[in-house]
Amino acid sequence: MSEPQSALLLRKQLAELNKNPVEGFSAGLIDDNDIYRWEVLIIGPPDTLYEGGFFKCHLYFPKEYPLRPPKMKFVTEIWHPNIDKNGDVCISILHEPGDDKFGYEKASERWLPVHTVETILISVISMLADPNDESPANVDAAKEWREAYTEFKRKVARCVRKSQEQEEC
Amino acid sequence: MGNCFKRSTTDDISLLRGTDSVRETSSDPVGPPSYQEALSVQSTPPLYHPSPSVTRSVTQLTEEEQIKIAKRIGLIQHLPTGKYDGCKKIRECVICMGEFMVGDALRYLPCMHTYHVTCIDDWLMRSLTCPSCMEPVDAALLTSYETN
Repeated sequence: MSEPQSALLLRKQLAELNKNPVEGFSAGLIDDNDIYRWEVLIIGPPDTLYEGGFFKCHLYFPKEYPLRPPKMKFVTEIWHPNIDKNGDVCISILHEPGDDKFGYEKASERWLPVHTVETILISVISMLADPNDESPANVDAAKEWREAYTEFKRKVARCVRKSQEQEEC
Repeated sequence: MGNCFKRSTTDDISLLRGTDSVRETSSDPVGPPSYQEALSVQSTPPLYHPSPSVTRSVTQLTEEEQIKIAKRIGLIQHLPTGKYDGCKKIRECVICMGEFMVGDALRYLPCMHTYHVTCIDDWLMRSLTCPSCMEPVDAALLTSYETN
């Protein structure tokens, strides 16, 4: 039985991440029998509002990976302009190149088949530190981030606290 | 009506490939991946991606999409291919993260990035950009024609 390329590629990445963990997150599978569904724990990046938090996320890879991007969802509650209220991450590298006239408009910001769990997580961690308010997925959070930063900070701090409590139990 | 992709067979591939003498047989791995899918699963019609997130059976393509895909196939066929000779400069296909083995079929993009034919053709059939440098392959190809 030969496995599809996507499964082999994901298995390779999982083995590599287990062997040489990357700072800032730890990765595993939701179910050991399903290589397409990952569970990742992001450690709130230092010197950001999310510092000290532990955010559990799920990554759902399509069978066509790496030709098509995975979907990513925060399971732990989080308040961020680019993560919608269901936890779905809205980040341009997880979007497929659009069907614009030439097929490559702003391709650099869109999904590419060279992205791995590691590069995706690095982008998401940098998004935590530096929200992009041009295309907010959580409009309320984006508005607060721009106009009522104190309230924004308060909400984020509450999520960080909650995430720590969840990790303890 | 007039669906030129209908019932793709090896005959169709030979037509698309023209008179390229480098390719010995119609079953070699050089060529748009969708045809290979078609060859390995004879009973189901091949699938195409008029845009990256859209997957359609060959029989469901609009005429406009057929033209788009035909152009794309033509363009991909113009990109040079070769076999890996053990050259130390390039070692790995960044799409499948696999090391190149001597004899692997490679495709060279105008930006000089190199991939397994099967890996990159699958991607180019969805998006005509180099996954490493994001250079649009069609524009680069036209430029290289003009300068020659």
